Amino acid sequence: MKRSIFFSLLFMFSQSVAAEDAWRTNPTSFINHFAEVGIDDILSANINEADKTERFRNLFNEGFDIPAIGRFVLARNWRRANDTEKQAFIALFEDLIVYTWSRRFSIYDGQTIDVRGTTPDGETGTLVDSAIVDSNGESVSVQWRLRKREEGLRIVDVIVEGVSMAITYRQEYASVIRQRGGLNGLLAMLKQQVSALENS
Amino acid sequence: MVSAPSFLRLLNRLALPVAAALTLSACAAKPPASDPEAVRAFEEINDPLEPWNRAMLQLDQGLDTVIFDPSLAVYKTVVPQPGRQGVTNFIRNFRTPVTLVNDIFQGEGQRAGITMGRFVINSTVGLLGLFDVAKHLDMPYHGEDFGQTLAVWGVDEGPYLYVPILGPSGGRDITGYAFDQLVLDPMAYDGQGGNPFLRTVAYFYGLAVDGKTRAASALDDLEASSIDYYAALRAAYRQNRAQAIRNGAPAPTPLLEDFDDFDDFDFDDFDFDGGGDPFTGLDGATDQPHEEIAAQ
Repeated sequence: MKRSIFFSLLFMFSQSVAAEDAWRTNPTSFINHFAEVGIDDILSANINEADKTERFRNLFNEGFDIPAIGRFVLARNWRRANDTEKQAFIALFEDLIVYTWSRRFSIYDGQTIDVRGTTPDGETGTLVDSAIVDSNGESVSVQWRLRKREEGLRIVDVIVEGVSMAITYRQEYASVIRQRGGLNGLLAMLKQQVSALENS
Repeated sequence: MVSAPSFLRLLNRLALPVAAALTLSACAAKPPASDPEAVRAFEEINDPLEPWNRAMLQLDQGLDTVIFDPSLAVYKTVVPQPGRQGVTNFIRNFRTPVTLVNDIFQGEGQRAGITMGRFVINSTVGLLGLFDVAKHLDMPYHGEDFGQTLAVWGVDEGPYLYVPILGPSGGRDITGYAFDQLVLDPMAYDGQGGNPFLRTVAYFYGLAVDGKTRAASALDDLEASSIDYYAALRAAYRQNRAQAIRNGAPAPTPLLEDFDDFDDFDFDDFDFDGGGDPFTGLDGATDQPHEEIAAQ
């Protein structure tokens, strides 16, 4: 009797550990976890803006494969860049996204995320389909492109109403690189943009 | 009160882009045929009027500063969100024929049924369309336009165009818009007395204020996060249109190699500098590896 209680407790415990960790590998739980942390610990948390930005930076690093996005965004120019340029780009790109998204923290108004389904994407990836619903019932379609990495799932792209963040940045930066005559022109402009956003 | 120097600044802001576009050659130079890679990139960007379009964007931003930003500010102050939602609902309901006829043109019987059902319910129970009752009865709103119909019929998107007040467009979409407004929009049949011209201007002004109010935060984000807003907007517009043409179905996976076995992937096999419209599966999916096209 005692023994069976012990085993059932052990079983329950192992189940709950599994459930706690499942979000790292299950695409739906991953996005739900990400949204929950984002809403509870950042958007509706009672902390100052700087702390919110810092928490978001951590969450962004934990949830996104930033180097992969950077490679995708720079495309052909990535291969032509040296290591210093690559690192400089990744760092600026991370800052740009962190500061851009931080701008919107203050206007958070109770929106919730509703995961509607998943489809296989590529060889090991998943596309998670979701809607961000506001208090008027208006919804925005958001898809999350996930890839399996050693540490667990990582987001490589966010697609809002059909507009892919990665593709949009890629086409924009291609245009900048063409006009500015190379990657250094892009890096200089990114630096300006980041410091403008940081001080706004 | 507008002081003289700031008035001059405004005038400058409006006049400069036009003057610049007229003095510079309005066409982007096509690269020489000896550089096939550059020619392909040029064709994929499909923006031969880029200098002109960039000037039109600048002009539009000037018009926003002078006309629409103040209008939007007043509108948002005077009309709270539920009221603005009512305006959006009313406009959508009023323009039902545009969506309905294009649903039918595209052979979308079920969607045409939803559009019709919404019109009946929202015009009556929804008090002339002010309330979107049908949304709660599993009949959500969708828009259609003749530009999308032309795309479904196989018409290419044509060169990119930036049209002041209307925003990003293209050869196909501006043609579609003209058809929608001249033939399908009920306002085209306004035969009442008074001043129809003034009413039409007021109507388009209303459409612009409603549309700009709804798009404001997304465009503001895009502008803040971009260093070449023109190029970012062009890329975003094309993807958003592609999704509308697919009726919301997700885009085919773009170049999954990029996110996966990156190091083995030779980017020079592809040229996606400008983008074109690679993800519709309708307008010549130039950027997709063939096995993905086959897999769809």
